[in-house]
Amino acid sequence: MAHFYLMKNYELIEHTADIGIRVKGSDLKELFRNAAAAMFDIIAEKKEPEVKKQAEIKIEQKADNLEELFVNWLNELLSLSATEELIFSDFQINKVDKNTLQALAIGEDIKNYKVNTEIKAATYHQLKLEEAKTGWQVEVIFDV
Amino acid sequence: MADIREVSLEKIDDYRWRIPKSYKPGMRVPGIIYADEKLLKDIRHDKALEQVANVAFLPGIVNASLGMPDLHWGYGFPIGGVAATDIDNGGVISPGGVGFDINCGVRLLKTNFQYEEIKNKVKDLVYALFSDIPSGVGSKGDIRVSQREEKEILLKGSKWAVDKGYGTEEDLECTEEYGAIQGADPSSVSDRAYDRGKAQSGTLGSGNHFLEIQVIDQLYDRDICDEFELTLGQITLMIHSGSRGLGYQVCDDYTRSMIHCLQKYNINVPDRQLACVPVNSAEGKAYLGAMKCAANYAWANRQCLMHLTRKVFEKVFGMSWQKMGMYLIYDVAHNIAKIEKYMIDGKEKTLCVHRKGATRAFGPGHPALPARYKKTGQPVIIPGDMGRNSYLLVGTQKAMEETFGSTCHGAGRLKSRTAATKSINLDALLKELEAKGIMVKASGRGTIVEEAPEAYKDVNEVVNVVHSAGISKRVCRMKPLGVIKG
Repeated sequence: MAHFYLMKNYELIEHTADIGIRVKGSDLKELFRNAAAAMFDIIAEKKEPEVKKQAEIKIEQKADNLEELFVNWLNELLSLSATEELIFSDFQINKVDKNTLQALAIGEDIKNYKVNTEIKAATYHQLKLEEAKTGWQVEVIFDV
Repeated sequence: MADIREVSLEKIDDYRWRIPKSYKPGMRVPGIIYADEKLLKDIRHDKALEQVANVAFLPGIVNASLGMPDLHWGYGFPIGGVAATDIDNGGVISPGGVGFDINCGVRLLKTNFQYEEIKNKVKDLVYALFSDIPSGVGSKGDIRVSQREEKEILLKGSKWAVDKGYGTEEDLECTEEYGAIQGADPSSVSDRAYDRGKAQSGTLGSGNHFLEIQVIDQLYDRDICDEFELTLGQITLMIHSGSRGLGYQVCDDYTRSMIHCLQKYNINVPDRQLACVPVNSAEGKAYLGAMKCAANYAWANRQCLMHLTRKVFEKVFGMSWQKMGMYLIYDVAHNIAKIEKYMIDGKEKTLCVHRKGATRAFGPGHPALPARYKKTGQPVIIPGDMGRNSYLLVGTQKAMEETFGSTCHGAGRLKSRTAATKSINLDALLKELEAKGIMVKASGRGTIVEEAPEAYKDVNEVVNVVHSAGISKRVCRMKPLGVIKG
């Protein structure tokens, strides 16, 4: 059963009980964007739109370090997705450094999606966030 | 998988293995793994043993860091891990030792149907259950509540549901903690957690949550089967579900705040996800109060799901659920922390017992048990994976002495989810299950393949270990006939 991704720029990685991804970005903003997009790609796929509702939600996070900021970013998106009943597909990262994040998440009503997987949370398990010559890379495991 | 340092184990006997304290400096107690040689090979496929060793770092930990035979890699704590800390001696509580799905658990109902009476109705039942019980991911239920009402659920657990007419007092008697842990603190639960929980009462959830129609296909202990009024060929029902988004949010909220507390309490743990605080601290009390809320929410949820299931059967068979004998045998949690008393070195101590992917298994005579189970010991329900057996066991005195009244919780996952999805063909799997007489209905495309039997360790072996080790006693075995999955 094939299904197509418009832009699949992440890989799935092995983990015994959960799902992991490896994502890249040329800078931190792109990394945060791509990781969020990958997460929702795992969660749901677009189907025939039923509802016109679109929403933009402002997200601000503070953390002691970049890894914490990253995990908090993904978990905040999961939380909002559940309470607002949205699937987020577009992300504007306005500011990101190791302690602060200011972003905008754009999403559509969950009714426009077929939900495949429930992700409970992003975890610190085997988290690898590193900068290389070509940009940034992260590996993160989701509890499903 | 590269980079797994081989953890050296000392054999205690055929079913018990020790990780010595010397394995890793910082371990306060040894690790003890309940497994046989064969399961150990599987357990060594991931880093679960290393995690058992890491848990031994927890301040106040008593006796040993335990691993059940369904042990596998989790975050911080392994799944299948049990650890108890002495709360009067700086013992800690760790949200990672409970898990995101607080009070993920399972209940078993009997019916007075025999297999022959129902075998032609399974398909109808599965379809009816699938249509009437909200199951899918992020699904919303028919049982809607306001925040004020939700606070009642968090305080009263199953009793909230019973008071609303979704069950009976007898159901409460046959539930761990009688369906609610006392001392839940709704003010410790964030607004966001409330929002996530509001629409999800009475929903099954996804992943390894399910509702299953089963038949008892083997009796092991005739006396206990007679006590429980269970016979060969009898139809049972199993419901496996947890605290949904409310639980996940509580875990996330408190893991975040506890990571910042490690320095405050001068606690050194090898893994950030073992973030913990002393039970007797403001943060510890707050997490415990919130965890109890989430646990109670899950019990209310399973009570509602059972009610909906009874209603579906009433619709299909045209008689009351009581007439069909759809009585609850027991309900157990398998992701939870409890405050319990144990004798340690001749002294009675109050311990915080973490059971992450582990089940309470109190032995005969325990005061926490209802009258009907004092003689036999507490029923322990072990769900198998899809297509494989589930078991009913009872707790034992040995469990009280060795494992803080704990035992395994299920089969434990062997193949990774990505590997499972790659190597198992959906059509072939459905045909195989159909040939075994098992009907599956699921709402997520990935869920059937991910939960395929090959992806799990063999539950029969896991149960054989806990039985042979004496920490639980086999009562009977069930075979699945129909499954609803989220």
